[in-house]
Amino acid sequence: MKIAVVQFPGTNCEHETLVAARSAGLSGEIFRWNRPAEELSDFDGYIIPGGFSYQDRLRAGAIASKEPVMESLREEAADGKPIIGICNGFQILVESGLLPGLGGVDVALAQNVMVSKGEIVRRGFYCAWTTLRHEAPPERCSGSFLLKKGDLVRMPLAHAEGNLVTVDEDLMERLNEENQVIFRYCDEGGWVEDEFPVNVNGSLESIAAICNPEGNVLGMMPHPERSSFAWQLPPTDPGKSAGDMGSPGPGRRIFESMKRYIEVRR
Amino acid sequence: MKINLRIWLKIPDAEAATVKNTLLRRMGYEDALEGLGKERLWSIEVDDSVADPGDLARRLARELVNENKESYAASVDSIEFEGGYIPVKVGLHIEDGEAVSAQNRLRNRLGFDMVRGVERSVIWKLALKSEKPEKTAEEIAERLLINPHKDFYEIMT
Repeated sequence: MKIAVVQFPGTNCEHETLVAARSAGLSGEIFRWNRPAEELSDFDGYIIPGGFSYQDRLRAGAIASKEPVMESLREEAADGKPIIGICNGFQILVESGLLPGLGGVDVALAQNVMVSKGEIVRRGFYCAWTTLRHEAPPERCSGSFLLKKGDLVRMPLAHAEGNLVTVDEDLMERLNEENQVIFRYCDEGGWVEDEFPVNVNGSLESIAAICNPEGNVLGMMPHPERSSFAWQLPPTDPGKSAGDMGSPGPGRRIFESMKRYIEVRR
Repeated sequence: MKINLRIWLKIPDAEAATVKNTLLRRMGYEDALEGLGKERLWSIEVDDSVADPGDLARRLARELVNENKESYAASVDSIEFEGGYIPVKVGLHIEDGEAVSAQNRLRNRLGFDMVRGVERSVIWKLALKSEKPEKTAEEIAERLLINPHKDFYEIMT
């Protein structure tokens, strides 16, 4: 099972994302944006990692979304192959219309606005460990295929524009009804609260990740590759491993899910 | 009254170059787009009682413009564009945190008590040779320059 980690100018998480994918049993390589796009069809799945594609010029993800590789990824997605966009990768998938995948650019990932007790307490870039609650049934989505509804996963995030907004008043109802909301930010006990610091960026209904209607394309703001090994966890986390460098961390479940999704699809 | 500060880079504008390249090389506007420029626009609502808006504009520019790398032009109330391009104004229709911060900074830290509101936007200057340049500018705005879930645009001719 070979995956492509798609790298644009300004992407900066491609190496650790590939390491995390390999730790889950996937093989693959970094696929630079200027390779012939049709070569993407040789792969079984795709990850668009985090970073600042094109220096976030115009707005995060907007320029990368117009690259020929994205047109090829659209075709591969239509074939049912899995795509996971992490952080800037999520922003690119939103700008390209692949997420939430309803026919156009259906949402925006706007600047973070942290709200507590009715007041804006902070804006912009934020970096923290967060807990995600899995909101969909098992096997709904390629990147959370192995997770049960209600499972909690710890991973860090680091972004300035992850605040999911829309002018479509019916969109949230549709995403909820179709189980396209995959992760919500929650506290360590799994409680979702629409207030900072639990809702880290002001995102609608504390959304951290969504998938397309078919479930093969997932976009998430937090970074699973940064908690794929237990040693990456913060010192206070009981799951932290200091000795065994290969011991899995919670983020690895995302990559293991992708692997399982590819196996089942075959 | 409203003081407008149009600000542009003296050095090459990499963002404008990237947007132009994307339109030409990725989006099929090689026959329509002749040139593209970018300006930042601060529109600052101030008390009508301000006696010398020109002087106030200069003092505001000292805070909002980095003259080591940027130039600016100030005007009161209306904005006159030079012609030869379609100016497309793009801003946020959701709350603009940077504009709110700028207003707080000007009023509460820097003593500009006369400031009543601050708006921030970008002017994309599209030199177009299509038959209907305004229509083409609208299309470019909707296909690339904005995400309608957070941005608005306005053709300013």
